[in-house]
Amino acid sequence: MTKILAVDDSASMRQMVSFTLKGAGYEVVEAADGKLALEQAKKQQFDLVLSDVNMPVMDGITLVKELRALSNYKFTPILMLTTESAGDKKMEGKQAGATGWLVKPFNPDQLLATIKKVL
Amino acid sequence: MTNIPTAIAGFEHINRYWDRNMHVNAAKILPGEFYVSLHGEMIVTVLGSCVSACIRDKVRGVGGMNHFMLPMQNEHSSEQWGSNSVSSASRYGNWAMEYLINEILKAGGKREDLEVKVFGGGQVLSNMTDIGQRNVAFVKYYLAKEGLKISAMDAGGMYPRKVLYFPDTGAVKVRKLKSTRNDTIISREKEYIKDINTQPKDGAVELF
Repeated sequence: MTKILAVDDSASMRQMVSFTLKGAGYEVVEAADGKLALEQAKKQQFDLVLSDVNMPVMDGITLVKELRALSNYKFTPILMLTTESAGDKKMEGKQAGATGWLVKPFNPDQLLATIKKVL
Repeated sequence: MTNIPTAIAGFEHINRYWDRNMHVNAAKILPGEFYVSLHGEMIVTVLGSCVSACIRDKVRGVGGMNHFMLPMQNEHSSEQWGSNSVSSASRYGNWAMEYLINEILKAGGKREDLEVKVFGGGQVLSNMTDIGQRNVAFVKYYLAKEGLKISAMDAGGMYPRKVLYFPDTGAVKVRKLKSTRNDTIISREKEYIKDINTQPKDGAVELF
């Protein structure tokens, strides 16, 4: 089963994202910030990481950099799901090694189609 | 008259002016808009059935306001936000709340110091029962889920409200508009509902 790590500091956002992904048959593990996500990623291998950008403790861009530094996450798709639509932030994400950028509010069909495309 | 302070990036389009009655710089937001201030400005809005969350960091004085309502539900009309959690209404409402909170945190606010006040949700559009209540119910659900307490609330009822919010002190002045003509408020809200129902605000996707 394809395993996705869903990272967001908002509990209601994690719930919506999990609901959408589980409904499409994915296994989902949730994390509330970048640091907790990194711990999870080191414990088990995920096929895709879907992360928010603005989070306490460790933000999403730092998480991407940290994941890309791990040999087993060099090529894992990492999608950012964020309220940020500014070009410079997006550029930062791209340079850190993110695979794609989705702006909230997300459309569930669009999110699932994007995940399918990058897996 | 003083110079209008520079707006935070992303809020340059908001109508800002010197308020002669209150002797303060002010920003006026319309349905679907947000404003976050670092400068002790007053944020003004007029709410019919829409709801506004006024959120600030009470230690640092950074805060702001949103002004929104949920799109109509054409799927199952259950109002159990948790179980019907990916409806367009939930996604839009989540975005409207999260966007405001994120902008406050980006401007230097700390989540643990946030103070939240909620206003609006009147039953103003007479042909649309309880949409005001529905907007307020959503905000209450969202805040509870996020672990944020409501420190003041004035919601429901049959009159529109004019809200003046001072994010640096947390002071709020609410006036119920009982006698003025409410046509402008109603037509503005109807226009906004039409927009959010016909053009869902789904975010863009870009693959690098």
